[in-house]
Amino acid sequence: MLDASIVAEMKRIVGEENVFTTLEERLCYGYDSTPEAFLPELVVRPDEVGEIQQILKLANKHLIPVFPRGAGTGLSGGSLPVKGGIVLDLTRMDRILEIDEENLVAVVEPGVITQHLQEEVEKRGLFYPPDPASLKTSTLGGNVAECAGGPRAFKYGVTRDYVLGLEVVTPQGEIVRTGGKTVKSVTGYDLTRLYTGSEGTLGVITKIFLRLIPKPEAKKTLMAVYERLDDAANNVTMIIKKGIIPVTLELMDDRTIHCVEKHCKMGLPLDAEAILIIEVDGQKDLVEKQAAQIAELCRANGAREVKVAEDEKTRDEIWAARRAVSAAVVQIKPTKISEDVSVPRSQIPNMVRKLKEIASRYRLNLVIFGHAGDGNLHPNILCDKRDPEEMERVEKAIGELFQAAVELGGTLSGEHGIGIMKAPYLKLETGEAGYDVMLAIKKALDPNNILNPGKIFGSESNG
Amino acid sequence: MDNIAAAFEYLDRCSKCGSCQAVCPLYGETRAEPFVARGKIFLLKNYLERKLDLSPKMKEIMSLCLLCKACTYQCPNKIPVDELVMQARSEIVRKKGMPFVKKNVFQHFLKNNGRLSFAAKMGYLYQRSGLQWLIRKSRILEMLGHDLAQKERLLPRMAGVPFRNQVPRRVSCREPRLRVAYYTGCLTNYVFPNTGHAVLKVLQEQQLDIVIPEQWCCGIPALASGDEKTAAELAQKNVESFNNAGVDAVITDCASCGQMLRKYADFLGTPESKNFAAKVLDFSEFLDKAVSFRVGDRDIPVTVTYHDPCHLRRGQGVVEAPRRLIGSVAGLRFIEMKEPDRCCGSAGSFNLDHYRLASKIGHRKVQNILQTGADIVVTGCPSCIMQIGHNLGLNNSKVQVLHLAELLSMTYADE
Ligand SMILES: Cc1cc2nc3c(=O)[nH]c(=O)nc-3n(C[C@H](O)[C@H](O)[C@H](O)COP(=O)(O)OP(=O)(O)OC[C@H]3O[C@@H](n4cnc5c(N)ncnc54)[C@H](O)[C@@H]3O)c2cc1C
Ligand code: SF4
Ligand code: SF4
Repeated sequence: MLDASIVAEMKRIVGEENVFTTLEERLCYGYDSTPEAFLPELVVRPDEVGEIQQILKLANKHLIPVFPRGAGTGLSGGSLPVKGGIVLDLTRMDRILEIDEENLVAVVEPGVITQHLQEEVEKRGLFYPPDPASLKTSTLGGNVAECAGGPRAFKYGVTRDYVLGLEVVTPQGEIVRTGGKTVKSVTGYDLTRLYTGSEGTLGVITKIFLRLIPKPEAKKTLMAVYERLDDAANNVTMIIKKGIIPVTLELMDDRTIHCVEKHCKMGLPLDAEAILIIEVDGQKDLVEKQAAQIAELCRANGAREVKVAEDEKTRDEIWAARRAVSAAVVQIKPTKISEDVSVPRSQIPNMVRKLKEIASRYRLNLVIFGHAGDGNLHPNILCDKRDPEEMERVEKAIGELFQAAVELGGTLSGEHGIGIMKAPYLKLETGEAGYDVMLAIKKALDPNNILNPGKIFGSESNG
Repeated sequence: MDNIAAAFEYLDRCSKCGSCQAVCPLYGETRAEPFVARGKIFLLKNYLERKLDLSPKMKEIMSLCLLCKACTYQCPNKIPVDELVMQARSEIVRKKGMPFVKKNVFQHFLKNNGRLSFAAKMGYLYQRSGLQWLIRKSRILEMLGHDLAQKERLLPRMAGVPFRNQVPRRVSCREPRLRVAYYTGCLTNYVFPNTGHAVLKVLQEQQLDIVIPEQWCCGIPALASGDEKTAAELAQKNVESFNNAGVDAVITDCASCGQMLRKYADFLGTPESKNFAAKVLDFSEFLDKAVSFRVGDRDIPVTVTYHDPCHLRRGQGVVEAPRRLIGSVAGLRFIEMKEPDRCCGSAGSFNLDHYRLASKIGHRKVQNILQTGADIVVTGCPSCIMQIGHNLGLNNSKVQVLHLAELLSMTYADE
């Protein structure tokens, strides 16, 4: 347990009601959306940057680990208090400070919910594209810290592509300001990009400058059904070669289709190997033209059936199938291990085959869906945490799955981050030298290793 | 817990995805994880695994739930969090007992209509006698603390004579299309007799044989506070009384009562209770489905918006019926508010136990109502009427809250 004087000091800084000390409350800040959970010694809920400075100064002085936390929807364990210490809950800092329509910039605090910002800017005819599936709950601070992506990433990029500047509190409690409202900025190292995706290990993000773009006028959605996965993958390449960049190109494999159909009875074809959900957006007439082109191209090249959403209702039906995936797959078994390996687009069929081979060798339930446009796949293993023998097989399969991704020229994590879940595999991708550079940065910026220790590097970062 | 294995299955289905955060009104106001479904489920799991006991904190957290089912509808795994919370409350009562005041209310008053009438009478006298005026004026309540003073205002104005004593037990007509029973609920009976009169008026216009059998509290206040035993006794009495009445349908004007009455089937599990529960229909659903509804000729030239009671929309799946009925009124303009189905914060006695939090939630509802520019907000549950009315009052708003029955009854010409 933390020293009583430290608890008292924290209460002085943020106010008594914003410090949680009871076991019950602390338990609720020890988990995220992974199956893991730990117990922090204290939960502190600051409301402004000055408070965060004081908290970090105190923690740094007394060498207390601090774990920044947004909404706790992370899928790599980034916010988990693996060493007890303090959970720094940033959800109270949820103000949209400015929406600058002239310069197309939004300035927000880290606790703003992603969807909340999107709604506010869309009211003004603007658009903030990054759309992690968790956008109704995730915080922008968490999005920046994980560099979250989403279905629209293929056309519009990921969170990183919209972060213009940051205000960050260092582990020593000092304020660093990077970038700002300008799109161009080359003064010194690109610290904005360093902090983006740093998973709360280098500093606490307290203010974010986000780039906005004008809202596309129209969108159109299609669904294509394939008997062979390779045809689906080929279609994706063909569409892009035509010069069309769809907003989304979502892929569902046969197991996923089965699960969704069994759970929701939507009339999906059970003999199909793959379904693609394709959406285009932009100027109205162009969107119509592109949708027609895509439909024709898919039909001529292996798609058994193509459904074009002519109205809002059909569009909703198509997306309902995709949205149902998460819920449907856990019907197989309760524990869901979601991975998010990415491979170059052309390797998708090879990767899918490899994944299926691994799953069958380890006798595991595996479903694959994901973003075919950018090669970011979500293989999900459905298992039961209470079965240690099965979990051992899962562990081995995951190791091989990462190995396969790297061998095909891909990456361990497209968007969920390393956290603790993938820490043991980091070197697979970075190599020794890359790992050393990263660790050197961590050690230089956080010499006492108080900020989110145990993440990315695993236990080796214990300096 | 009663059914540990079953509860465990539910708890294990939570994937901790956090989707419930998006809709839980308590989380929306506090952004505090212990209050959201995910937090409560995690705590219950720890309790079942014997890593936690029923501490005062645990009790407080379990009391902080509106039982609004918003999380269940959002949840990919459809976990019935309200049911789990009620089970947890029962467990707390079993192991730790009831708070003295609630115990008295549930075990003595609710089961005895005479005593309940007497209590309501005393409440009425308190409000009419000038004692209320004196106490408010004297600022004694303010001295006792802001919340208490506000809460006192939240207490409803009691009816001088309970509704059921104001009307005959049977109202019939020539060649009735159906024989129905009216379950009035406690709030209509003791606080909002006007709603009761309106319900009767509208039903009479549909050419029905209407009976008002002897009846008791539906049991939900007791059950929601963990007193399963009292709830079961009340349920049993109601089932017997209504089954004896030999009717085609049992109509309620209270969303929370309606949800509970329908639940008798599972709660008691007897053939009689199933027979009873199958006949229960909300006032709006009955008019919309069971009879070809006849609206009055009078124009009502007002702007109206509608609040979905949690226990009507999610509890009984009644969404379109009240909207269709409102739409049938001539001259009226309907505007849908933002988040019509977000809980208003009343949730039985939640607003008394957690006044400030309930007011914050109520405030959001009021803002959504005011944004529509409506003159009248219509809803289908007396608790919502109380909570929304109170919060509109705090905003000095002129917007009126009416039960759907009151709106519809205005369309008929006076005899
Ligand atoms: C159902 C579901 C669907 C998802 N879909 C996607 C998806 O499509 N794409 C995707 O990329 N991700 C997805 N995710 C993962 C997750 O939602 C994202 O990683 C999201 O960005 C996390 O945000 P959060 O607010 O929950 O952060 P948390 O989980 O609380 O924290 C995540 C990390 O950010 C750090 N952090 C949080 N706030 C700050 C701050 N202010 N300063 C410094 N560090 C901070 C934490 O320490 C932690 O390392 C999904 C998750 C779920 C449960
Ligand atoms: S029932 Fe309502 S108040 Fe209770 S946890 Fe669910 S959403 Fe929150
Ligand atoms: S939405 Fe359901 S599964 Fe997800 S965290 Fe909430 S209760 Fe658990």
